[in-house]
Amino acid sequence: MEKIKNILKVREMTSFLCLIALFLIVGIVNPTFLQLDNIMNCLNGAVIYTLLAAGIAFVILVGEIDCSIGASLCMCAAICCSMIRDGSNFAVAIIVSIIVGALIGLLNGWGVAILKIPSLIFTVGVMGTVRGLVYVYTDCKWVENLPPYYTQIAQFKLGGLTGIYVFALVLAMIAFVITTRVRQGKYFIAVGDNANGANLVGIPSTMVKVIAYVLCGIFAAIAGIVYGTRVGFIQPSTGNGYEMTAIAACVLGGLSLTGGVGSILGSAIGAIIISSISRLLVFIGLSSDYNDAITGVVLIAIVVFDAVSQKKKVTKTRRERLLARTAALEGGKAE
Amino acid sequence: MAEKKDAHLLEIKGVYKSFGMNAVLKGIDMTLDHGEILALIGGNGAGKSTLMKIIMGLYSEDEGDIFIDGKKVNLNKPSAALAAGIYMVPQEPLIFQNMTVEENILIGFKEKASVLHETLLAKLEETGFELDLTRKASTLSIAEQELVEILRGLMREARILILDEPTSALTFGEVESLFRCIRTLQEKGIGMFYITHRLDEVFEIATSVAIMRDGAVRVSGAIREFTREILVKGLLPPDADDSGVGEKRERKAVDYTDKKPLLKLENFTGYGFKDINLEVYPGEILGVSGVVGAGRTEFATTIFGMDKVLGGKVYLQDKDITGLSTPEVMAAGLNYVPEDRHVNGLFKMRDAAANTTVGILPRKEMGTFLLSVKKELEIALSYVKHFRTKVTGLNQEVGTLSGGNQQKIVLAHALATKPLVVILDEPTRGIDAAARGDVYKIIEQLKEEGVGIMLISSDMEEIIELADRTVSVHQGRINATFDQSDINQDNLMAAAFGVVKEKEVV
Amino acid sequence: MSDKEKKTTQEPLIAYTTPGARIKSAFKSWEAFLFLLIVAEFVIFGTANSRFLMTRVIFGSLNDVMAVCIISLFVTFVLITGGIDIQAASILGLVSIIIGVGWQDFGLNIWVAALIGLICAIACGALSGFFIAYCGVQAMVITLGGSFLYAGIALLVSNLSQSAAYQGISGFPEYFTFLGKYKVGGVVPIQLVIFLLLAVIAYFILHKSKYGRKVFLVGTNKDAAEYCGINSRRVIMSTYMFSGMAAGIAGIITTAYVGSSKCDLGSTSTMSIITAVVLGGTLSTGGKGSVIGTALAALVVGILRFGLPLCFKVNSQYLDVPIGLLLIIVVVGRAVLASPFMQNLLAKSKKKA
Repeated sequence: MEKIKNILKVREMTSFLCLIALFLIVGIVNPTFLQLDNIMNCLNGAVIYTLLAAGIAFVILVGEIDCSIGASLCMCAAICCSMIRDGSNFAVAIIVSIIVGALIGLLNGWGVAILKIPSLIFTVGVMGTVRGLVYVYTDCKWVENLPPYYTQIAQFKLGGLTGIYVFALVLAMIAFVITTRVRQGKYFIAVGDNANGANLVGIPSTMVKVIAYVLCGIFAAIAGIVYGTRVGFIQPSTGNGYEMTAIAACVLGGLSLTGGVGSILGSAIGAIIISSISRLLVFIGLSSDYNDAITGVVLIAIVVFDAVSQKKKVTKTRRERLLARTAALEGGKAE
Repeated sequence: MAEKKDAHLLEIKGVYKSFGMNAVLKGIDMTLDHGEILALIGGNGAGKSTLMKIIMGLYSEDEGDIFIDGKKVNLNKPSAALAAGIYMVPQEPLIFQNMTVEENILIGFKEKASVLHETLLAKLEETGFELDLTRKASTLSIAEQELVEILRGLMREARILILDEPTSALTFGEVESLFRCIRTLQEKGIGMFYITHRLDEVFEIATSVAIMRDGAVRVSGAIREFTREILVKGLLPPDADDSGVGEKRERKAVDYTDKKPLLKLENFTGYGFKDINLEVYPGEILGVSGVVGAGRTEFATTIFGMDKVLGGKVYLQDKDITGLSTPEVMAAGLNYVPEDRHVNGLFKMRDAAANTTVGILPRKEMGTFLLSVKKELEIALSYVKHFRTKVTGLNQEVGTLSGGNQQKIVLAHALATKPLVVILDEPTRGIDAAARGDVYKIIEQLKEEGVGIMLISSDMEEIIELADRTVSVHQGRINATFDQSDINQDNLMAAAFGVVKEKEVV
Repeated sequence: MSDKEKKTTQEPLIAYTTPGARIKSAFKSWEAFLFLLIVAEFVIFGTANSRFLMTRVIFGSLNDVMAVCIISLFVTFVLITGGIDIQAASILGLVSIIIGVGWQDFGLNIWVAALIGLICAIACGALSGFFIAYCGVQAMVITLGGSFLYAGIALLVSNLSQSAAYQGISGFPEYFTFLGKYKVGGVVPIQLVIFLLLAVIAYFILHKSKYGRKVFLVGTNKDAAEYCGINSRRVIMSTYMFSGMAAGIAGIITTAYVGSSKCDLGSTSTMSIITAVVLGGTLSTGGKGSVIGTALAALVVGILRFGLPLCFKVNSQYLDVPIGLLLIIVVVGRAVLASPFMQNLLAKSKKKA
């Protein structure tokens, strides 16, 4: 019983239960939804956001934000796909685009962690620049006519799941294990939780933030590569607004934008929820136009609930401390 | 170390430290032995925390030597102190809320997790602490957070622990369990500095005591040689009994006949204080003495509408102002000058003029919709002149002013509201002597104008110099009231540490 | 008169309010720099292509960026309190579609529809502002949620119409579209006039009114403002209502200008708005900022947007690069200048001088 209670206290578990409840409710309204195929499709559809959310989760865990990942995704996808189209080696193309993603992350990390510029402002600037560069790079044209071997990667299936989703999930799980089980991996959460405290116990918090951004950039690059295989062409406007959806996925998955709370496992669950909403709507007979409105309501509801309960807790602890002062005397007298 | 059995665990010889012109430590000699619990007591600003920070390597001493096990050590940075086996448990424990207890204790170590885990289990066994390592830190009580801090120290093989007011936020039961833990550590031969403001605890837990005053150790020795009276005496300057009165300024005694109190508290209770009863009369300075953390700021800010009232009443003149919001309390005629001007008093990026008029902004005289610049400059200028605030112009950002001038700006914005009663919380903390003189003049002048003044101060001399009557607050309650003739260091210090002579008990 | 003179000579403390001193300090300000930047743009673009200097071309192109300019005026308020607003663009689309659907499908008078749209915009701002101010949620997350929510509602509103969402609703009466197309004296577009008018109003509210003073005080030190009897939460919430209102006005004008009502109008302008506000000298951590700076910066960005394609044949799709870079350079430059190292250097050079 204790154990079950403890499990329920974990934030990602709440998100997971939300996911299950959501599926079950839709299943009750429309039993055809609960076919294995459908559920697998929900998961497979979450592949891009699973990668993006896992990446941005590093940044959110350290208490910052990154608005440039949508543009990075597009940039890396464009580079990777155009190189493959032009006959470059598959591996080389992937490595180059991952390096580009990492460099964009490094730039963000430099501005936010080292120059201490507010992350929203700086990464919005980077987003604009990178997006513009995508147009320059692609000459405003689509990148298409990709060789079939590349697009077929997305077709490969393991059971009901696509290979790329399994791959994304494995990456997210590795990131999850690193951030919660490995000694240095825990630094991300520590820095977001209490940056001053982290410095005092000898954690290089500036460096940790830079690394978080670089990892975020790398994940965006991988998402871009996967996007290429899955969709088969890249528009210069690809990935517009994806950063917002990825942030929303993280929040749904139980991460707090103040940093230090939640896990990458949660972000992966959030990604499934957010990319399934439109599919779920279809099954309960609503148009997918409700998608944004529902996402907005859920997002606001979650963060408001979270903030209010957090605020209550802080006041409560402070008041308990103060009450203890007067109570200590009473205890002494009672003796 | 066996060959040096007679060497002290820690020995401090002739340590001096000053900040700028201000000498904080004036030649400290102190020793700490294995298994010794040295209670370190002294008023605010006596130099206790500076000394501890030097031992922790956060400050470096100007002069003097520190020996551990008879060997001279150079503690110039925290890592050196940690390596030497010193660990300080801060007043507010440093906790990563979202990690487990174990992660909190072990973060920052370089060794293998499994090895660390074993060591930690061993330490837990040794000390007998009852702590579930898998719990989230956010669920820990403050006492348990302190245990986490102590374990962090022990994991670093600390042999010298510094406990800085560890019981200040603990309930009675928690204090007991903390003391049990401290005694266990004592049996292990760990030496501890125990900083406190509670004399009861000194007798309960300490094996020896050192009293610091004015940057030096005045009295020290084994606890059995002391009584409460000796401790209180040691906290005071040697000539306090006769010269204390001499410092008071010449002034008229307040005439209380047929005066009604301006401010009256009846059984006022809230978070951090209980059953406060007091009255402030027009033209009177009521001193509120006590140590930092006694609950004085809490009851002042609660009057001011910053926190929930749990019981009792506040009357301003005859109006009941209990539980009103801050703007309402201000409109009724009470203002409060906060303790921490940087956090709660100043708008550093704004200029002197804007800072002066912030309190009267809602009033009609400042314009109906548009702000009357003329009126603002007029008011700001009058206060700058009146208070002799040194600014290059009314457009100088107040963040660039010196501490004393900043305090004058804060006073100006409180007094510009022309309050009937003003509560001054530590009005001269951290400002130089000249500015202090100016602030005192401002306070005296307010008094002459018939304003009721409540002066919260941890500086005994300030209370002696200014107050007409004084109440002493100890652990959230008024434990003594002194008339002007009884206000002296002896009485104030005794009451601040909870020792009250029978006749003064309220 | 003589009385006045006396005062200025006797009281140097008050001297900074004299007109001469004000002009002097104005020349050193960031606003002056932005103004020079606009002049430089005119000179460079003008020499590159003389067509640029034709009033018809300039004013015509400025019309395209007026929505961003208007919104950023009031988003400045939000940033001064230390917040951020990334939902304004969504509100713009919502207002636009409300006008269209209200007019076409509910048969409302177009002005009534516009008024309803404006009220909805303020309500959207109020809702987000409430959560931010009273529940203590980060402005970033709430306005992110808001941007989804309001864009989503806009889409749903558009479904109430018979017209397909992607087509939009058009055919508005001329007395409405004149809001976007009329030219004062045949030259100056009315949009620009409205923008200037709003800039003046925003200037008075922010820099001259008691309310504006409160905005600055809350942005500088929220706790101290509470201790001085200012209801900081109400002030914070109201700034979001202002930015919502601005988005509403921008929505009305854009609808009139484009001549059609669409739910995704202005959806890509978030970055431009933030760039304009930050470039205008507003501190994103709160406490500092100016309406004039924002207005000038919005114009700098706007002119860049049409000058580069017109005079240097820069593909208009590439424009995010110079604007993004501009934003980065400004914030990096400020961060570098504020670093202790540079501060020391500056202090030293001052001493030498």
